[in-house]
Amino acid sequence: MKLKCNATLPDRALHIALKTSEGGCRRGDGTDCFIASNSATTPGDMTERGCTYAGCRGVVGGPVKDAIQLTHGPIGCAFFSWGYRPHLADSDFHMKYTFVSDMNETNIVFGGEKKLLQSIIEANREFPEAKAVFVYNTCSTALIGDDGRDVAKQAEEMIGKPVVFFECEGFKGVSQSMGHHVGNETIFRQLVGSAEPEGDFSRTINIVGDYNIKNDLRTFEYLFEALGLKIITRFTGNVGVDELRIMHKAALNVVHCQRSATYIADMMQEKYGTPYINVTLWGIKHMAQALRDTAAFFGLEAQAEAVIANELAKLQPKIDYYRERLQGKTVFIYQGGPRAWHWIELLRELGMKTITVATTFGHEDDYEKIFEQIDAGGMMIDNPNVPELEEILTHRRPDLFISGNKEKYVAYKLGVPFVNGHTYDTGPYAGFSGMVNFARDIDKAIHAPIWATLKRKARPAPAAHHTSHGFAHGFEGAD
Amino acid sequence: MSCVTTQDRAVAINPTRSCAPIGAMLANYGIHGAITINHGSQGCATYPRHQMARHFREPVEVASTSLTEKTTVYGGKNNLLSALKNIWERFNPTMIMVCSTCLSETIGDDIPGIIDEFKDNNPEITIPILSVKTPSYIGNHATGFDNFLKEIANNLPDRRKKKGETNGKINIIPGWVNPGDIRELKHIVREMALHAIWLTDYSETLDGGYYEPRPHFARGGTTIEELQSSSKSIATIALQRHIGGDAAHIYERRHNVPAHILPMPIGLENTDAFVDTLTEITDHTVPEILQVERARLLDALVDTHMFTSGLRVALFGDPDILEGLTSLVVEMGMTPAYILTASESKPWAEHMVEVTQELGVESEIIIKSDLHELHKRIKAKPVDLLIGHSKGKFIADAEKIPLVRVGFPVEDRFGYHRRSIVGYNGAISLVDEITNIVFERRATGVVSNTLLELGVEGPSTMPLLIPNGNGNGKH
Ligand code: SF4
Ligand code: SF4
Repeated sequence: MKLKCNATLPDRALHIALKTSEGGCRRGDGTDCFIASNSATTPGDMTERGCTYAGCRGVVGGPVKDAIQLTHGPIGCAFFSWGYRPHLADSDFHMKYTFVSDMNETNIVFGGEKKLLQSIIEANREFPEAKAVFVYNTCSTALIGDDGRDVAKQAEEMIGKPVVFFECEGFKGVSQSMGHHVGNETIFRQLVGSAEPEGDFSRTINIVGDYNIKNDLRTFEYLFEALGLKIITRFTGNVGVDELRIMHKAALNVVHCQRSATYIADMMQEKYGTPYINVTLWGIKHMAQALRDTAAFFGLEAQAEAVIANELAKLQPKIDYYRERLQGKTVFIYQGGPRAWHWIELLRELGMKTITVATTFGHEDDYEKIFEQIDAGGMMIDNPNVPELEEILTHRRPDLFISGNKEKYVAYKLGVPFVNGHTYDTGPYAGFSGMVNFARDIDKAIHAPIWATLKRKARPAPAAHHTSHGFAHGFEGAD
Repeated sequence: MSCVTTQDRAVAINPTRSCAPIGAMLANYGIHGAITINHGSQGCATYPRHQMARHFREPVEVASTSLTEKTTVYGGKNNLLSALKNIWERFNPTMIMVCSTCLSETIGDDIPGIIDEFKDNNPEITIPILSVKTPSYIGNHATGFDNFLKEIANNLPDRRKKKGETNGKINIIPGWVNPGDIRELKHIVREMALHAIWLTDYSETLDGGYYEPRPHFARGGTTIEELQSSSKSIATIALQRHIGGDAAHIYERRHNVPAHILPMPIGLENTDAFVDTLTEITDHTVPEILQVERARLLDALVDTHMFTSGLRVALFGDPDILEGLTSLVVEMGMTPAYILTASESKPWAEHMVEVTQELGVESEIIIKSDLHELHKRIKAKPVDLLIGHSKGKFIADAEKIPLVRVGFPVEDRFGYHRRSIVGYNGAISLVDEITNIVFERRATGVVSNTLLELGVEGPSTMPLLIPNGNGNGKH
């Protein structure tokens, strides 16, 4: 499988693979090797990837609702990561405020440690009710060698609350994935286990790797609770600092996003012996399986069956309705990582067929899971760039493209129905009930009358016409 | 008299400025077929792309040199060289603009030197490749735009201008505005029967149509030929002092094209200044249609003054849009109680003291400041209205004050990039919008073309009766 747009970028062929009719993998370079992933982006290829800082500040640390979110760096990194990712909580301090040490030229030349310390103290003075200060490092402050760890330690003594320093400078890894790792590792090292509440924790779990996008947690928390389980910590969505501190008390970690949060589950297993299970909380089959697996750990199988039966009775007629309307439609999923494979089954439950799957920062294990689930002829792309997306949307012409906000307008300009899988058009999309929202949005996207209108009515662009005054009115140019 | 204050805090909380590369990227979008390479790590390209997509709701494509830890140790030269090659081969652009980042500037990469090396190695590539310095620890998003324009003025215009040679056009630098604003300015220029070279024109590239098939490059944008010819223009008009003012002076110095630096044409006075300048530098007169639009703006100001006079407003954003808005809100009888910017420019602050003095209002002009500071001011002494970009919504929500959205970014409403706030028409729509917001949010109801305000002076026990459903009955 070769893309025309990659004629001058031969290396990109290693990141594209097809599943053959025999079930083998045929990579773009003609070999049977597996798709290459998690490697440095080709410079100038118009990647959609972000930086390590984005993965840490935006994904893992950002949802913590009562921490001051302080970026140590110049203004832009903080401005752009402020308030756009809908990781909701029952309060909105974390969404409403962004803090930045605002490095200027002098700070870059002479070091920014003093300013960072002052920033932490001032931020805490403005918002004394915050439970901690999360400090995120950026490229330039890392490069000039600011010792943020040391500043954080000093500040912690001065303000008497945790100051958590994330070494998540943007250039550290090849994508935002490294930022997830740094986020996990730092929160684990600095917060988890720092409080020891008394009580019986034998029937408790943590939900690990769900960021409560548009209140996803609401669609499944009550199901776990209906089993008789208590959720201690949500890592990280609708979560407070105090809950992160006691995360180690839970009896079981239920891991949803297995790219961005398995790290902390592994570390907890090693240090505290906390077992974990991997689950998918999207779609009927997977959501039911997640409840069954969790229940099995606690010996609550009967309860799980009752909860599932009750939910399915409510859900099935609605899903049947959409299934009929969506039967046979083809999908291109492009997500950051695991959602790409989480959703293949859900779409199948809606009668749809996933023909192309791409991820921004997936690793080999993500692609293995994708490969397992797609049909022969299915295509995988790692870290796709703008021309590749355009070519696939044009030539493989899926009935639906599920991706993020940036890619949305590319799809629209090409007349391809689109659902926003990153931040959701409406949401929530998780759990049983969220699946109905998901199906409704897909249905709305695919069956909107605009696509037929475009087909009938769209015209080619008028001949290029760059007159200096916009649109000619019939008078001659002055020249 | 107005006073100038600043924020007494090192930490920035809810800044009202972002970083330099996005300004250069935006400006470069106004050149047909030009592509941006952001020399840094991926975040510095992807974040602004995302931000622009949220505002313009268009595909926004910017390349990154994707620096990682390894490459930063040895410098980013090889990454930039291969990015240049990849972009050239894959896209066949009309121009490439390389902007730096805090990272590549801190490493100390010599971008112009690397570009020269690239050109030496590839003599067949003759398109302009521009280097724009955009470290964000110096200045902000506006600086990036301004630096881009300076590079254009220095590098693209044809230097072989014969004495007296002219293209009969006017260089117009709209600055950081919206596609709708540029279209409104074009309308004015067109109605004056003049021709302009727009520096730069993203009126269509960032507000494009749906075409089948999709054109290789977005339609619109100033062409390289126009930029080359810009040294032969009869004048340069910069409509924002801080974005394009310096470039206009470069045209004057290097190419003998007279510079006219004007306030952003928001409101009657400022639009008049623009139109008058057009008549002064050419022998064209103000056509009937602009006279009618101007009269219509006056009429709108008359019709609305009873509802807007006396309101206290807070303005925040960039210096130039603030200067323009100040003029318009005073024309509407409102008082700009706070005028807040992230800019550190003292000369601007002093200029604003004069402007407000001339307009006869007293304002607190707050420079080098953030939105948290504005929030504190408003908590201490409230305003009736906020005017600025979307990030003001947190104050608006908390204090239940309406926010009139202008500037960048407006990411929580649809289609604001298509609107215009400049020219007579832009002012009319702002007057309408502000008045309607007052109608909707401040008053209890609109009855028979008048406002129903339920506060009564002095104690009263008489229940207030609201006529048939036009009010909402809240006491
Ligand atoms: S490092 Fe500089 S250029 Fe990059 S996003 Fe941050 S402020 Fe902007
Ligand atoms: S400077 Fe580094 S941390 Fe900041 S946005 Fe750019 S890549 Fe990310």
